[in-house]
Amino acid sequence: MQTQQSTVSTTKGIDVGKIEKELAAMWKPADETRDSQADSGVTRACTMNLLVYSSVVEDRAGIDEMLDTVCEQHPGRMLVLRTDREASEPKLDAYVSTRCRVFGANAKQVCGEQVTIEAAGPIIETVSSAIAPLLVPDVPVFLWWKDIPHYEDKLFNHMTEMSDRIVIDSSCFDHPHEDMQRLAEVIRERGQLMSASDLNWGRLTAWRTLMASFWDVPDYRQHLEKIDSVTVEYDPPDVAPDQIAPKALLAVGWLASRLGWSVEGKGEGEEDGTIFKLKTNGRVINVLMRATRREGNIDGMLVSLTLSARDSGAEFRVAFSKDRKKLETEASIGGAHSVGRVLSYEQKTEGQRLSRELSLLQRDVIYEEALLSAVQLIAAL
Amino acid sequence: MQEAAVIENPLRAGIRLERTAEPCTVIIFGASGDLTKRKLVPALYRLMQERLLPAEFAIIGLARTEMNSDEFRKAMREAIEEFSETKRVDEDVWNSFAQGLYYLTADINNPSDYDKLSDLLNQVDRERGTQGNHLFYLSVAPKFYGEAVKQLGEHNLAKPKENTWVRVIVEKPFGTDLDSARALNNELHQYLDESQIYRIDHYLGKETVQNLLVFRFANGIFEPLWNRQYIDHVQLTNAEMVGVEGRGGYYETAGVVRDMIQNHVFQVLSLVAMEPPVSLESEPVRDEKIKAMCAAREFTAERVRAECVRGQYGPGSIAGKPVPGYRQETDVAPDSATETFAALKMYFDNWRWAGVPFYLRSGKRLPKRVTEIAIQFKEAPLPLFGEAMQQMTPNQLIIRIQPDEGITLRFAAKVPGQVTNIRDVNMDFRYGASFGIQLAEAYERLLLDCILGDSTLYARKDMTERGWELVMPILNEWAATKDKVDFPNYEAGTWGPKASHDLIERDGRRWRRP
Repeated sequence: MQTQQSTVSTTKGIDVGKIEKELAAMWKPADETRDSQADSGVTRACTMNLLVYSSVVEDRAGIDEMLDTVCEQHPGRMLVLRTDREASEPKLDAYVSTRCRVFGANAKQVCGEQVTIEAAGPIIETVSSAIAPLLVPDVPVFLWWKDIPHYEDKLFNHMTEMSDRIVIDSSCFDHPHEDMQRLAEVIRERGQLMSASDLNWGRLTAWRTLMASFWDVPDYRQHLEKIDSVTVEYDPPDVAPDQIAPKALLAVGWLASRLGWSVEGKGEGEEDGTIFKLKTNGRVINVLMRATRREGNIDGMLVSLTLSARDSGAEFRVAFSKDRKKLETEASIGGAHSVGRVLSYEQKTEGQRLSRELSLLQRDVIYEEALLSAVQLIAAL
Repeated sequence: MQEAAVIENPLRAGIRLERTAEPCTVIIFGASGDLTKRKLVPALYRLMQERLLPAEFAIIGLARTEMNSDEFRKAMREAIEEFSETKRVDEDVWNSFAQGLYYLTADINNPSDYDKLSDLLNQVDRERGTQGNHLFYLSVAPKFYGEAVKQLGEHNLAKPKENTWVRVIVEKPFGTDLDSARALNNELHQYLDESQIYRIDHYLGKETVQNLLVFRFANGIFEPLWNRQYIDHVQLTNAEMVGVEGRGGYYETAGVVRDMIQNHVFQVLSLVAMEPPVSLESEPVRDEKIKAMCAAREFTAERVRAECVRGQYGPGSIAGKPVPGYRQETDVAPDSATETFAALKMYFDNWRWAGVPFYLRSGKRLPKRVTEIAIQFKEAPLPLFGEAMQQMTPNQLIIRIQPDEGITLRFAAKVPGQVTNIRDVNMDFRYGASFGIQLAEAYERLLLDCILGDSTLYARKDMTERGWELVMPILNEWAATKDKVDFPNYEAGTWGPKASHDLIERDGRRWRRP
């Protein structure tokens, strides 16, 4: 990925016209290349606006690396806002740059553009007014809020209002349970006005797919109606080791919302972990959520997810392999029939995960329902 | 496309991989062949990796080559390492996949071998939980298709048992002429319903071909222009840089009309010419495709002479490297009259296309590997800009199928300045640039569709026969006059014989340079 950069003076606020002019100037050499070398020029592509909010303490190189990956799949205009809320002196700087990658056998360069705004002090509250006119029309606007969402914050609210979708990461919550509850509240309150993506939910996709695939097999379907026990093993979150990892809560929330299980309360048992009692049509489902500490643990990650039906002796299990690089699945019915497989678990980079979320425009109702069920579990604690 | 035949599953809702298949066994006839190694098993391995196949899945390789299942597994592992995109095979993942690989040494003509196959299928269904769903892939020479299906039928392997399915994929070429295609269809229909037969055309598995339907029928702005009122003509170019690549023996009996035009080119053409289907399910789409092809004007001997051009490449150079002429290729007769290039002018006699010529060309040893459709719109009705318009070409919409899949719209724009100068500019959409994702191999898509029971991208009986009906007058006329051809008539590395340029230029048009 190549980048080209130019600084725009912002002593009197952000001059949107000047930024646009700078961007146009950056494209000029690229356009000239295109004219002179018909087969190896530059393609300027714009599929979206991506607003990125981060604080200055965030690792800048890490964000750049993520944006490189994102730009490969979603070239467009990136508006990166880096803030220092603690600063007492107001500061506002902007610079523009392009991100290019070589594409295809003909060595085409595909480029997107970036405007970075560094803001400090009280001026942060008003900076969204400088962002709005910089949005490219007619393409979707995504907001990647690389921080814990500040739901009462003016800037957060303005930026979510101008976005079609907001991307957050619940694995970064410093108070996972409270923050999930607050997120669910906000989603419920804002309804159609805010559609949210959670990178942490994206990390569950492989697990959900493999668990769901058991019931694509007609012979197994009958057992789904008899499930009475769920065991989830997870690595506790580093920031709050005493709390259940958001991913584990979302996994159970997903099962509960899809299968119509309602949370009855906390259950009791001998096991080392937290037991929840869920119910559907008179059937009780005991959910055991157990923190593990295994070698090579990954912060807040699921370790295994097992569904069982005692009556029919059926068990369906998805689990990490010991090296955490593969997922193993196994279905056994009364111990007699067991089909298993091992699949690569692609440890996707954060940039790849963000890219994946940027492919989705509609509200993710399944996620929202899973989150609501997860919050009911938290409430039962 | 048809909605995936996914069984109702409450956990499936909203999963970002929405198409997964039912348990099944894929039985490959011709498992020691090239296609199995290069395409089929790597495609199935990737589908498994993408979690699009269930755990309850197995592959049985079947061929005359003496081999046991372990040797087959070893050969397939080497094939995946050599031919798959990933190249690398994880030991545990491979072992898990390999458990579902079986091999049976069998002769297609030997009935007792089908008893063994039947036993093995029962064993696999038990061991792997594949539920009695069977997909037979005939990756063998066309002369064996009939026999294989007959034997399957006579061994009760062609008819599905209750709540199971049996499907058969047939590779191209589907017949060598109209009579043989009809005879083959009749043979297959003795034991199989049409809904069980999947005639594969890998062109239809390409992303851009599938995008043609989306492009035409999901956008409101193009379809109103997609007719004789606004379109001047259509060009379809299917160019290969390669020669016959050691397949001279086969090519001598085929030629470009049999090899490319009556199947691949006509399939793509039908997607351009068809009316909107009532739904995107398999049958409505295929109904509209055949309806369009039925409107294609028949070729008479006179039309063949006036509107069809054949060519054969002589020595020349490709990408700076000298290459031999067709007649110098291995297993090719030194006086061969087989065509390696053809250009046709076609018409569709219906309300949408009356009077709009469709120029098709396909050939080997052309300067560039490219398949594209160029829709040329009519000129603006009034030359308002006078001389400034002279350097313009009419609007064109180019749909590139391979390589570098994408769509380009060419239109006029004013060159900035004090005077009105007009230049053509391109508005480009490139799959890779806009979506930045690796496009799936055509075989992956087509195999998965077949397992899901979606035949939209497969050729139906009537379509294969209509393809042959249309080209038979051309083949007959050319066969009757083969002594009169002056081959070779184009140099390798050029855009075909002069006559192909004359064909379009005498209508006041030119071939696009792709």
